Amino acid sequence: MIQLVFNGLVTGLLIALPALALALTFSVLRFANYAIGAMLTVGAYAAFGFNTLAGWPLPLATLGGMAAGALVAVGVNELVYERLRGCSGVTLLVASIGVALALENVVRFIAGNSPRGYAVALARPLRLFGLRINFEQITTLFAVVAVLAGIWVLFRFTRIGRAMRAVADNPDLAAVRGIGRRGVVTVVWALSGALAALAGVLIGLDATLDPQMGWTYTLPVFTAAILGGLASPMAAVAGALVLGVAEELATTVLAPQYRNIVAFLVMAVILLVRPSGLFGARWLTR
Amino acid sequence: MTAYLIATLALVAISTIAGLALNLQWGLGGLVNFGLFGFVMLGAYTCGLLNVAGWPPLLAMAAAILVTGLASATVSLISIRLSDDYLAIVSLGFAESLRLFISYEEWLTRGTLGVPGIMRPFAGWVPPSAADAVFLAFAVVCLAIVYTVFEILARSPFGRTLRATREDPMVAEALGKNVLWLRLRAFGLGGAALGIAGSLHAFNYTYIDPTQFGPVITAYAFMAVIIGGRGSNTGVLLAGFTVVLLLEGSRFLIDAFGLLDGAQLAALRLFLVGVALVTILIFKPNGFVREYRLISPTKERS
Repeated sequence: MIQLVFNGLVTGLLIALPALALALTFSVLRFANYAIGAMLTVGAYAAFGFNTLAGWPLPLATLGGMAAGALVAVGVNELVYERLRGCSGVTLLVASIGVALALENVVRFIAGNSPRGYAVALARPLRLFGLRINFEQITTLFAVVAVLAGIWVLFRFTRIGRAMRAVADNPDLAAVRGIGRRGVVTVVWALSGALAALAGVLIGLDATLDPQMGWTYTLPVFTAAILGGLASPMAAVAGALVLGVAEELATTVLAPQYRNIVAFLVMAVILLVRPSGLFGARWLTR
Repeated sequence: MTAYLIATLALVAISTIAGLALNLQWGLGGLVNFGLFGFVMLGAYTCGLLNVAGWPPLLAMAAAILVTGLASATVSLISIRLSDDYLAIVSLGFAESLRLFISYEEWLTRGTLGVPGIMRPFAGWVPPSAADAVFLAFAVVCLAIVYTVFEILARSPFGRTLRATREDPMVAEALGKNVLWLRLRAFGLGGAALGIAGSLHAFNYTYIDPTQFGPVITAYAFMAVIIGGRGSNTGVLLAGFTVVLLLEGSRFLIDAFGLLDGAQLAALRLFLVGVALVTILIFKPNGFVREYRLISPTKERS
């Protein structure tokens, strides 16, 4: 039981980063980015390239992958979303699925369909207080918690963090106060690309890399973000943890391959009962 | 060559029916259906399984249309009160869940082994050599029926009100229209057409398995609607028979390109679909054919 909860929390942490990225772009740009999964895949494969082709050690390759993910996200924003400014959120939504398709297939074109893994040494799982803990789980735990703490500090205490919150709250008012929207949007995309890439690497460590990996995570990531309340980034993290534990506990009654069905059921219930999310976002789109 | 052309045209007709369904849901109603492939899959499996269980093909197809239409309406109920972003993810969630269910519930669907031996309509009446051509004719007749019905709907008060709810649900509501009920019917009717597309898919291959259904089907439908022009059935028809035909025809090029293998060519084709979606949205956001507008007689006189 405790083992299940622990595994669930780690799964939740894997979902937390892209869910945070999704809620971040949604709160500032007011559209749901369906390319989040593809961004995750691109970042994971970029890190794979640095790791195996260039021979960098994995931590350095991960940083490289995050930088690549940030660059791709900013580039896509310049090429696509900036040009569609002023269009409705639905148009941007459809554009993002086009972006997802394009990105995923660039990866598939270059790297092929077969699953791949990072060049890391295998380690025996640890035993702590009766829990079985994998090396990958420890890595995930530390990496995600460190990054989340960093993001929280960024939001709370820095100029750009305040600017992001201001634009998310009320873009017109922020503009009146002289906050440049363009700069904030670029930072938001860079952050979101880097977060997705890191999640991609961690998921790749946990399982394997394949071009579909991001797509299979799209549903849980959206569920987590909706569970937290789509427009509040930090609540998405809490949503991810709840979903992770729920998915893990559900394996006691449902077959493990039905994880995504659990995510869908959780989403359906939350939308029917409390569409503003568990942690009560201040506003809700109707 | 003729056989290849007939097979490709049948696929194009099926994709275009899916495009018309999306045009009713998204083009006219503003309801984003990212899970379109799931409803096609539901239609194909309902039709295929009933047919294999001994139902005559046309009866199985009718059941598939009914089931898919009802399922669409039910799924849309989950988020129909909320903004469009939510319906997009709910429909996608339904589609992914259905795919998992069909892949693993072997007692019902034979899982990844697939369902073989689906019988086409009129299969007993025609010589086997003409079977493909007869099937193509059947698919085209289905396409014509869907087109005609949806075109009548688009010009009817129903279509007009639906467009109004797309532009501004609040105003439509204030004018006394029941937005929820309208959207529910639009999503359900679109779903029924997806049931037709799914049934034809099952008849076309006479074998179905879960790998045949993926987001690509959704992407093709969106491309047909965006290029054709949101809200225009004629535009979707034209886009289907040019762009989808070109894309499907490009399978032919595998022999011509010695450099690329099949998987790479498939990736390239999907990459182009993605790029085309985005490019058209940026440079030609209304597509190539305008949607139908009722022009009032007074305006014409002035």
